[in-house]
Amino acid sequence: MPSVLIHDAGPQTTVQDLGRRGSLRVGIPPSGPMDREAFLLANRLVGNADDAAGLECTLIGPRIEFADERWIAATGADMPVTLNGSEMPRWAGFEVKAGDVLRLGAARSGVRGYLAISGGIDTPPALGSRATYLRGQLGGFEGRALRKGDCLPLGSASGGAPAEVHEEIIPDYTVEPKVRVVLGPQDDRFSKRGIAALFDAPYEMTPQSDRMGARFRGARIEHTRGHDIISDGVALGGIQVVGDGQPIVLLADRQSTGGYTKIGTVCSFDIGRVAQVKPGQRLRFRQVSVAEAHEFLRAYRRELDDAVHTEATS
Amino acid sequence: MGIYAEPRFLPCGDLALSVELGDDINREVNARVLALEYLIQQKALGGVTETVPSYRSLLVYYDPFTVGWDELTKSLRALCREARPEVLPPARTVQIPCCYGEDLGFELAAAARKLGLPPEEVARLHASTDYYVYFVGFTPGLPYMTGMPARLEIPRLDQPRTKTPPGSVAIGGIQCCIYSVESPGGFWVLGRTPLRLYDPAAGDPILLRAGDHVRFRMITRAEYDAIAAAVAEGTYTPRMERV
Repeated sequence: MPSVLIHDAGPQTTVQDLGRRGSLRVGIPPSGPMDREAFLLANRLVGNADDAAGLECTLIGPRIEFADERWIAATGADMPVTLNGSEMPRWAGFEVKAGDVLRLGAARSGVRGYLAISGGIDTPPALGSRATYLRGQLGGFEGRALRKGDCLPLGSASGGAPAEVHEEIIPDYTVEPKVRVVLGPQDDRFSKRGIAALFDAPYEMTPQSDRMGARFRGARIEHTRGHDIISDGVALGGIQVVGDGQPIVLLADRQSTGGYTKIGTVCSFDIGRVAQVKPGQRLRFRQVSVAEAHEFLRAYRRELDDAVHTEATS
Repeated sequence: MGIYAEPRFLPCGDLALSVELGDDINREVNARVLALEYLIQQKALGGVTETVPSYRSLLVYYDPFTVGWDELTKSLRALCREARPEVLPPARTVQIPCCYGEDLGFELAAAARKLGLPPEEVARLHASTDYYVYFVGFTPGLPYMTGMPARLEIPRLDQPRTKTPPGSVAIGGIQCCIYSVESPGGFWVLGRTPLRLYDPAAGDPILLRAGDHVRFRMITRAEYDAIAAAVAEGTYTPRMERV
């Protein structure tokens, strides 16, 4: 069976696809890539469907060996890519042969690196998805992060072609990002000063952040009447503010419901940028309306659709 | 208090909104939330990609390129008028075997002292009534329930535990819950069920659903072990009936 062998896994490398849909109503999060844009572009670079499963690597990538010919592409966090010891391009597809060893090094910027392999990783889907949900031990490879010696099955690959992402699309993760936020659902539980605090000053990513949520430190966000609400559903990007007045942005592996006030929600198209902010690095929140968010989303999708440049004539 | 005259639509970013139907925790408001979700599913409401019910609101994920905010909220407002409890299919009653006290219900004795009742009486009262599942969530498969006898109302633990074993049956305030995965917790653990509320290896990993009724059945430690063994072998079928 075509496969890849994990020589070294890195601190947290997981199998992800675009995530599961429909199970939030019973408390199972969608999971999937933290940086959806980088994940999707990696798949497109090797000619995969957008929802093919690939690898998400955290801070340090894996060392893996291929058993047959494949097209592969590395995107996301700036992890140096080497093939049999020679440096290879990032944000571009290239071919590997049986016995080749690929290594993704420590991230120079960003947090999450992605590796797509033509044919995709073919682990058994759970609830319609191959995404790994670590806390729930669901999906991916045995519901867990990869370990040395794991052998991942691959789907059948149907050729490939040299392709690269347009240079101007490749994000610079060293820059302080501005992420767009729609106020609500509980913005009425914060003072004017509290809402102004969120948008006025930068917030620093703390090390207590994971695939469930990103915890920030910065100006205190003031409530008007307590931080408890009757528990309700938590959307992707929901900015929960607890008693200490500090924001937590809820991400791919979030709890489905929660009993804390949510001042606003980070827009879907900026979640990937949140996922690439290192602990100690800062970001800024910027307010937009729902209508503006939909316009930005439209522009973002257009940009993604034009992002990959293929040399093939087909 | 109770049900709003008109639903509130609260933005949750670019891909979701929350439909809030009332301002407190009661079964009438919750039944309307579940009825609204049911109608959205039955009518396959265009552009809705996922829904998450909770006590008094429904989180609705949508594709803004299929349906815009104005059109979606107009359809939802119309559905809210139809969303009465009667539209829901008959509820299930699920029997949950529970071993009270001993090593599994490690806070039964302390809770009993706090309540001024003998431990046996706390267990008997707890297993004597019908519980209602408002929704399932936070962690996979965790039911949010009420229905407890008033005499068991108890403040939450002063110091939350960092780890609670899955299957722990616990009470806090007027609520009862069953921990579905190992997690922190602020409720008093009275007992444990050998059933798995979340089983990632099962085809359908979730035991309880929003709108279910739950009855606890008091079991001995020996029965607990026997059922746990049957669950591990995949030979145990939970008892469920339509009410």
